[in-house]
Amino acid sequence: MKFKIAIVVALAVVLQTTLRNLPGVGQWLVHVDLPLVVATYFALRRDVVGAMLAGFAAGLATDVFSSGLLGANAFSKTLVGYLIAALATRVSLDNPVVRIPVIAGAAALDAVVFVMLHRILGQPPLAPFAEATAYKLIGTTVAGTFIFYLLDIFFSDRARQRRHFAFRRRAARRSTLVRR
Amino acid sequence: MPIQRTQREIRQRAPAWLVALLALSFAMATFSARDQATQERKIRVWAQAAAMPVQSLFSGASGGVGGLFQYLGNMRRAAGENETLRQRLAETEARLRETEAARAENERLRGLLDLREGKEFGAVAARVVARDPSQWFDSAIINRGSSSGIEVNMPVVTSEGVVGRVAAVSPVSAQVMLLTDERAAAGAAVGQLGGGGTANSLGSVRGFGANGLLDMRYVSGLDQLPPVGTPVLTTGQDGIYPAGLKLGEVVEAKAGTATTSHEIRVRPSARLNSLSEVAVLLYRPPPRAVPTPTPSPSTQQRNESKGK
Repeated sequence: MKFKIAIVVALAVVLQTTLRNLPGVGQWLVHVDLPLVVATYFALRRDVVGAMLAGFAAGLATDVFSSGLLGANAFSKTLVGYLIAALATRVSLDNPVVRIPVIAGAAALDAVVFVMLHRILGQPPLAPFAEATAYKLIGTTVAGTFIFYLLDIFFSDRARQRRHFAFRRRAARRSTLVRR
Repeated sequence: MPIQRTQREIRQRAPAWLVALLALSFAMATFSARDQATQERKIRVWAQAAAMPVQSLFSGASGGVGGLFQYLGNMRRAAGENETLRQRLAETEARLRETEAARAENERLRGLLDLREGKEFGAVAARVVARDPSQWFDSAIINRGSSSGIEVNMPVVTSEGVVGRVAAVSPVSAQVMLLTDERAAAGAAVGQLGGGGTANSLGSVRGFGANGLLDMRYVSGLDQLPPVGTPVLTTGQDGIYPAGLKLGEVVEAKAGTATTSHEIRVRPSARLNSLSEVAVLLYRPPPRAVPTPTPSPSTQQRNESKGK
């Protein structure tokens, strides 16, 4: 499972760095924060430490290719991962409709922490704060909702049960054939 | 045997993990910020060098898949474009002949004037393997670094114009600060360099935020207002870019007064939104002459009396 999570995080960062250069749509895709979506998804699985590590890894990998401060995305995404995971252990956030404001909140919090950290260290980002945050909130929420459905196929409890029962069915079928 | 921890134990340890990870991130950010004064961020350079093989691999693979789809899409339009291209080819060949003649004439004149060719520096072709994943900044990562002779502040160009300059270098990659970055600037001149055509106006261009335009500053309000479409070239006085490279074209110009400068907006010639291949010019600006102070007559007399 941890290997799968690492692959998804790596894929999100690679797509984020590559899609921006696509002619035409690249300038819009930059407003979708794929590493944040992935970190938020794993935070909703109530594994607090796992969520923080996923957020930290995704953020740090993003920082490596960014011209901002190294560690700023790691900081914001770790914090977002912790807060959402902590919230998910207290309140049920499994409903797909409830996830939408969670993604939006995560996007807004991530932007605020990221920009604040840069301002504290004397390196204000280039994009205007209100405009960039609004675009990020919309883009990440819309794309995140669909990506969550996609990730559910591989990581949800139902998918895990399905795989588990498929294995048991195969085992049962094999044993019936052996008996015959 | 692996240690089994209960969910409660994991939850109890979470704040410690949070503090440790946040402290680590903050320490890296602080370290990164401190080094900005020297323009070299060692930690980023190492991290980029380590991540480069993976990024190149994925970039190549995604480029291949994307290229296949693009190829299939282009096949549909190819038939219609074929005829148009034939006509253009004929026109281009005619232009090429004219250009060859002009070039030969130019070389003859250069030889007569004993002018040196401006190509004293080489160029390294590079592929853009990644763009800044954050929406707050805009930079590009190329797959050539110090092992190819690339150094910080070397200009990066495409066939269309200037892209930006190298901001950080690792042995196998380099980070390019785009011209549209508010922190980037270049000495610029409106019109043709060396006289002829429109009167030159000197100034400097810098990024103008998120709209992809450049702001040309310090152009005297007494100069002639350049019309829309006038080319903007580098002057070579900024110590980064050689003279005569195309920066862009004027898209908007508002007249200044005797005390205020013109407001000029420039659209970069290079397509910065879809960069694939660039060239890094191995250009080192000539060292600037340091003015030697000439001693005044009174100082000379004092020195002479001291000598006695």
